[in-house]
Amino acid sequence: MRKNAISTRVLAALSAGALVSTVITVGATSTANAATPKAGGTLYFLEHTPRLDHYDPSRIYTGRDLAFMNSFHTRTLVAYNPVPGEKGTTLVPDLATNTGVPSNEAKTWKFTLRPGSTFEDGKAITCEDVKYGTSRVFATDVINDGPAYLQSWLDIPKNADGTSTYTGPYKNTPAGVAAFNKAVTCKGSTITFNLNKSIADFNYLATYGVISPVQKKLDTGDKYDLNPQATGPYKIVENSATQLRLVRNTKWKKSSDPVRTPYPDEVIIQFGLDEEVIDQIMLEDTIPNAVNFGGPLPTNRDKFFKDAKFADRRMNNSDPYARYLAFNLVKMPCLEIRQAMYYARDAKALLDYAGGPDYAGSYATGVISPLLATDFEATKVVGPSDYKNTADVIDATTGFKPSGNVAKAQAYMDAAKTKCPADYKKATETGIVIDGRPSASDNDTIPINVAAYARVGIKISYNLIKSGYYPTVMDATKQSDLSTSGWGADWANASTVIPELFTTAGGFNLSQNSKDPAYKAFEDKVNLAMKTTDRKKQAALWKELDKEAMKNFWVLPTLFGKAQEIWGSAVQNVFFWVPQGNLAYGKLWINQ
Amino acid sequence: MPRFILRRAYFATLTILLVSIVVYGVFSILPFDPAALTCGQKCTPAIVEANRVKLGFDKPLWQQYWLFLSGIFLGRTYGAGSAEFTCPAPSFGYSFNENMCVTDMLAEALPVTINLAIGAFVIWITVGVGLGLLAAKFRGRYPDTISSVFVLLGTSLPTFVTGLFFLIYVTIKWKIVPLSLEGFTPITESPVKYLQYFILPWLTLAILYAAFYTRFTRATVLETLGEDYIRTARAKGLSERVVLLKHTMRAALAPITTSAGLDIAGLIGGAIITESIFNLAGLGRMTLQAVYEFDLSVVVATTILAATVVITMNLIVDIAYGYLDPRVRMK
Amino acid sequence: MKNLLEIKDLKVTFPTDDGFVQAVDGVSISVAPGETVAIVGESGSGKTVTSLSVIGLHNRKVTQITGSILVKDKDESLDIVSAPLDKIRSYRGRVVSMIFQDPMSSLHPYYKIGSQLAEAYLVHHPGKKEEANKKALEMLSLVGIPEPQVRAKEYPHQFSGGMRQRVMIAMALMNDPAVLIADEPTTALDVTVQAQILQLLKDLQKNLNMGILLITHDLGVVAQVADRVHVMYAGRIVEQGNVDDIFYSPHAPYTLGLLKSVPRIGSRGSERLKAIPGQPPSLINLPIGCAFAPRCEYISLADENSCENLRPQLLGNSDSHKSRCHVPEEKRDKLFTAEIKGART
Repeated sequence: MRKNAISTRVLAALSAGALVSTVITVGATSTANAATPKAGGTLYFLEHTPRLDHYDPSRIYTGRDLAFMNSFHTRTLVAYNPVPGEKGTTLVPDLATNTGVPSNEAKTWKFTLRPGSTFEDGKAITCEDVKYGTSRVFATDVINDGPAYLQSWLDIPKNADGTSTYTGPYKNTPAGVAAFNKAVTCKGSTITFNLNKSIADFNYLATYGVISPVQKKLDTGDKYDLNPQATGPYKIVENSATQLRLVRNTKWKKSSDPVRTPYPDEVIIQFGLDEEVIDQIMLEDTIPNAVNFGGPLPTNRDKFFKDAKFADRRMNNSDPYARYLAFNLVKMPCLEIRQAMYYARDAKALLDYAGGPDYAGSYATGVISPLLATDFEATKVVGPSDYKNTADVIDATTGFKPSGNVAKAQAYMDAAKTKCPADYKKATETGIVIDGRPSASDNDTIPINVAAYARVGIKISYNLIKSGYYPTVMDATKQSDLSTSGWGADWANASTVIPELFTTAGGFNLSQNSKDPAYKAFEDKVNLAMKTTDRKKQAALWKELDKEAMKNFWVLPTLFGKAQEIWGSAVQNVFFWVPQGNLAYGKLWINQ
Repeated sequence: MPRFILRRAYFATLTILLVSIVVYGVFSILPFDPAALTCGQKCTPAIVEANRVKLGFDKPLWQQYWLFLSGIFLGRTYGAGSAEFTCPAPSFGYSFNENMCVTDMLAEALPVTINLAIGAFVIWITVGVGLGLLAAKFRGRYPDTISSVFVLLGTSLPTFVTGLFFLIYVTIKWKIVPLSLEGFTPITESPVKYLQYFILPWLTLAILYAAFYTRFTRATVLETLGEDYIRTARAKGLSERVVLLKHTMRAALAPITTSAGLDIAGLIGGAIITESIFNLAGLGRMTLQAVYEFDLSVVVATTILAATVVITMNLIVDIAYGYLDPRVRMK
Repeated sequence: MKNLLEIKDLKVTFPTDDGFVQAVDGVSISVAPGETVAIVGESGSGKTVTSLSVIGLHNRKVTQITGSILVKDKDESLDIVSAPLDKIRSYRGRVVSMIFQDPMSSLHPYYKIGSQLAEAYLVHHPGKKEEANKKALEMLSLVGIPEPQVRAKEYPHQFSGGMRQRVMIAMALMNDPAVLIADEPTTALDVTVQAQILQLLKDLQKNLNMGILLITHDLGVVAQVADRVHVMYAGRIVEQGNVDDIFYSPHAPYTLGLLKSVPRIGSRGSERLKAIPGQPPSLINLPIGCAFAPRCEYISLADENSCENLRPQLLGNSDSHKSRCHVPEEKRDKLFTAEIKGART
């Protein structure tokens, strides 16, 4: 959830998504690619937050942080190819010699380790190290925040409450340890994962640090987060409140790593800088060898994107998040009211508030982002039929109009009046409550929404949750009628979107849709898709499921977002790397 | 005198203890659940419960407080099984956001804040008292006018405006002071880097405080100049310079010292804005961050530390006042 | 110059928001060695302004001072009104010293007594620290402070009021000045202490042969120590004479009023003290006539309208005894002397 639900703090942090073969980047440089890369220098990343959420490979889940740490510091069994364009989403062997070999209907996955790879202390990486690293995420009281797929997929018995009987390496029972030893086995340099169901894309999880080597004798539990052992070309020498400083890991050998090509001598994230100050540094090019890690402030976007002098130093790309409002079906069972709320909304005013189509994105057609190219198709149920179209006209197929299709919304309200009078009364008299955060932008948009819904007689009010937003709205007893949310895929497969958002087993189901008449059939289809190893057939199923979820209005889709990147004049070879939706940090070099 | 100090120290200790109880109590009854906040992706009730145990929030409040208090003297152990670790005494808790013992965090942040406060103090007291003296001496004439313009500007410009101005213009645009990216360097290691790191934050704080002290010094000096003993000093045939710098300043010293002591305490408690703008990893920035992230153990520790600094400074000022003012000393 | 101090036709004017204040208007006073000259008057009569002028403590930038104040230092003499500040400073505390009304606030609270005394010496004898300390102890002992060595290391607040005034006197005498200005030296003190301090001043004067200019509102003090008296009212001297003239045959109605308002030991218990009716006039825009006229009981004895329209001159049948009044002197002499006698029987 940390990674994929849009957090207030790291909105700029992008998560994984599949390639869109069409142009998704505007103004990305290609000139740098022509020059020969130079080694040396220091590469700076200027960042507003005081640190990354995590450095411990088992706990990293934010897309940008993952891309950063995996580019420089942490090697995983397989990796995304750090190249521009569609090829960037292909898996390549990293610590393993292959990208994983499935068998037993994709219930068993084997990876064989490449010889010659070491930790920063020089110790050779063994199968046991990977196995140990894999075990840590089960200690949920120590190793938290990381992706939890291993707990649900590895073939280990579960307790009644759904937790694993194995509780990680620190404190456990012999039965749990035995079960884990059966689920994950080592034979020579080959590690085998035994799953409790068919997972056709399990090897994508192997791009995450949750499956990466950790030395048992160096594991300090919670504190391992501060200075995890490097396996990549850079190691941490300073991790303070001001900066994360990486220097070259002398034990790393190019011959053992087919993925990484380290150029700078040092890589430094400078934390805690004021966002305005970072933008000014970029505008003045005070530190030419620096990247604005969080992207420019909305107020400064025009300065970079309307001035030709920044043509080689800027990028405006889609972000991998689909934003939406989740209907709480327990409290909003009437389909017509949900439909009326979708059509009455003034999406245009809200998009304009956020910066317009140039900077903020386009109207969402579902919850699968266009960046998940293989699985994406405009649902033609909601939003514009062509997802890039932002013109304020009524779409002939869906009836969607950015500024609101008031007539259509009114028709649904009229229908609701007879079909579900209690819900109609609630919408028009009691009022519908929306969960949100007390941020400036949320506060500013409240009047826009209140006015838009007043056009069809719907009253709305807001429940602004000051802290612990997601834990609160995920608690069914505390969730209001609608909850503001957003989601991006964990990897290039909608298997990390549709099941997560719309099934009871999913980690982020805010729709409470299990009682909906359409749910049973939907869940069956999801299970079918999960088993389908033919990627094309699977993609077709995801597209259908996205469409069905929209037809049922389990969520109110709002926006496919955009993000901006800025860097200094000496930073070379900048290109958009699709998997995590940001720059291929490991490929940057400094023109000194 | 020693009895006076002992008694004051005793009451100061009691006050700090009381503050710690209040702070701990207030932060513990705030309506959010730290166990849920630090919960991972699939946040089942079981995980929240495990978190609660890990963070120590499963125990009754008084017991939590007792653990906190005893941790200061005995150290405190966290985690279980092979992931167990200890924050040695004096332990002010453990931050699960930063994965560090709070004491270690304080040890990193405190030198930054102390250096910031002391450097700023040296500048503001020199400029403030100097200008205030000039303004008083040339009352109604142009040094007084200039200083009153300075006072007006200094007191009306918020620190985030002066701070951002210094950073964006002096450093980024005009490149007069180079941007300091390396963080805190002790003066003993590299005076140049030390200055580079602190000079603008010092000035930012000093301008505000110097303005206050200019006004304060001017008023105090003018008031003192009207005292009978100043007339006596003049009647002795002393020059105006001696009258002003010796007799008048000696009398103005006590109130200025009192005020400065408390202001320094306030700065150590947190020059939040200045530290944030200039990205100084001091107590203020640390506290602000902890508040954003609901990092209770850090907030509690820094709040208690700030209160302790203020109370201690009060004690020091009282004792210093005794030395500065012989009339107080004897009581 | 025979006199140690000669004030001639001194006029002092201050600007205020309401206009110019003529605080002192044509005052002439002289002090000879060994002589005690008193200036008597109510507050606001200009007596303190006069005394501060002598030591040059007025701010010259705002205060207009005319006339002359000649101070004799051995063979040379200095006009305080026109001399450069540096020169005046070298006279202060050395040739002319001053002690003030309130010994509580006139000593610096943060410095030790000894060092405050020594400083007075050091100003005029730079670098002679040892002598200064020695002199300080000597002077403390001279003014009757027991255990001067111990007391010198103490702070003013450890002294009683009378002791502090002794210290002030000691400080004023550190450089053996020719003239001592004593501005209400005993006002803030208990009556018994008052007598001791006055006695001390008298004794010191005899030993050092200095001239004393005594500023006071207290006729009792005047009677005790003064040789000659100047009575001031509204910035002017209204009567001057030797102490017997003033007390036994006052010539100015104001002096008479003052004398009648003072209680006498041995007077009849039934007798009421007679206060002067009315208030002293504002010093801004004084009436053109006699400043005391609005409060005066004897206007009818003078020529018609002269009191209201004409400023009386300071005149007298003898050089030593002069007064300002339009009532003929012979009439006053008899009448006032009789009233005084009447009041005293």
